[in-house]
Amino acid sequence: MNIDLPHIARLSGLRIEEYKLPQLQQDFEDMLAMINHLPEEPDMLPVDQDNCMQLREDTAEAGKFTRDALLQNAPAVQSGCAVVPKTVE
Amino acid sequence: MRLYEKTAAELSGMLRNKECSAVEILADVQERIQETEGEIHAYLTFSESSMQQARAVDQARARGEVLHPLAGIPLAVKDNISTKGLRTTCASRMLEHYIPPFDATVIRKVKDAGMVILGKTNMDEFGMGSSTETSYFCTTHNPHRLDCTAGGSSGGSAAAVASGEATLALGSDTGGSIRQPAAFCGAAGLKPTYGSVSRYGLVAYASSFDQIGTLGRSVTDIALLHSLICGYDPMDATSAYRKYADCATALKPDIRGLRIGIPQEYFNQDISDDVKNSVMTALRQLTALGAELKEISLPGTEYAVSAYYILACAEASSNLARFDGVRYGYRAKEYTGLTDMYERTRSEGFGDEVKRRIMLGTFVLSAGYYDAYYKKAKAAQRRIALEFNEAFKECDIIAAPAAPSGALGLGEALSDRVGMYRNDRCTVPVNLAGLPSLSIPCGRSADGLPHGMQLIGKPFAEQLLLNTAYAYERSTGGFAEVAQQGGAV
Repeated sequence: MNIDLPHIARLSGLRIEEYKLPQLQQDFEDMLAMINHLPEEPDMLPVDQDNCMQLREDTAEAGKFTRDALLQNAPAVQSGCAVVPKTVE
Repeated sequence: MRLYEKTAAELSGMLRNKECSAVEILADVQERIQETEGEIHAYLTFSESSMQQARAVDQARARGEVLHPLAGIPLAVKDNISTKGLRTTCASRMLEHYIPPFDATVIRKVKDAGMVILGKTNMDEFGMGSSTETSYFCTTHNPHRLDCTAGGSSGGSAAAVASGEATLALGSDTGGSIRQPAAFCGAAGLKPTYGSVSRYGLVAYASSFDQIGTLGRSVTDIALLHSLICGYDPMDATSAYRKYADCATALKPDIRGLRIGIPQEYFNQDISDDVKNSVMTALRQLTALGAELKEISLPGTEYAVSAYYILACAEASSNLARFDGVRYGYRAKEYTGLTDMYERTRSEGFGDEVKRRIMLGTFVLSAGYYDAYYKKAKAAQRRIALEFNEAFKECDIIAAPAAPSGALGLGEALSDRVGMYRNDRCTVPVNLAGLPSLSIPCGRSADGLPHGMQLIGKPFAEQLLLNTAYAYERSTGGFAEVAQQGGAV
């Protein structure tokens, strides 16, 4: 299978150096050969009624975190906001 | 015998009887870490507040407070579980300096119980690997043989427990990441039923499979810690809403009449003769205790590795999209715009295995391939789950090897990545079906490497698994002995 790896990398938000592409192509072919082993069968999931998801009330909780605590790991912060490169000229 | 060699249950009794203090236990385990960590590399970060936690337990006991049985017991925590104020890296350059502003629910529970957190343990980067060799920081070595891997991805937790560098440990299991390293290191490891332990604060790899679980050197220890961390949590939408019994107080070594299913697909030519012999010897022991063996078949097992890698990587490609260098984590030093910053940050911050799995996940979800891969993998997952359901009509639990071989040599897994994926064949079916599974040591190879047998149960049948393992442990003398290969005096 001919896979456009630079395209998949872009979709993944990644960049692969040119010199790594041949090895990655080989890795992908090996992985696809492995994951291709799947049966042809209809989708037949019975819903497990005994273990339904229980969602919590959608209520806002104030004061759980401070802005500073949430921004303490941000690589660049200015005036209480995460800084990103300029996107609009 | 030194304190680091004792189980949590033994130490708990000694604390209660005032034969030792939590500070003394911590000091001895820290001394053990000094002795062996240079060769094992189980930890990435040590807590600076562990002595303070131990002192607080001793003071509370002196005041006559009623404490949890695990109060004062040293605990190692896998480095993908958020610990407030304590670095949590997922063994990735991406999170090298990340300090969580909150505790995972399981951490809140162990802190409330008075457990003493020693530090954060090494792992495969974001849980992606089976040997702890994809860690950005270091490779964890097997305490039984330093030229072998500790398994993965919870290799640091397994090695810490097996070497006496921790009394108990928390790990996480997405495709076998607790059970396989437990088997390789000669420890016990419980992967609980999906939904029974909160995932709030566990950094996600594949959310529909990820599950936090426990590692220790005795079944009672595993039962104590599991009972502490399980339970419904509104902060985790996939948390199962039900009542959870205390597994530790209900431990019973009586397995007379227990029907144990032996799936032929887990004893074929892909499994080493050594491992098969160890597991069959353990099963004979269980029959001597009154259990009955029944041959069963789980034919969908052959599709499990394919289905698992498609689904897990698809989820990973979505989950790891959050690492973009904006709100937390690594950011590339040089870039020319927003998209360039994203791509450089992620390309420099993630290791090769993580990038490979993100790309595989993106590929199987991309236009034109979704039906061929993702949809078929979901159908295979359902088939595997249904086959387990059918099997449990004929048996109470299922027994199988936890891994196809003993611990691999260093570098072996990375030199054959597809081989490494295939080596997950014993463990991934359980994650696909969301079942509980407990791996216990069950013998060794000729060269002294431990083997593991996993006991698989119906959803929420942890008690039955623990009782079976408890019966085995009591009849064989157990597996509490600490590995001494790692430089102990």
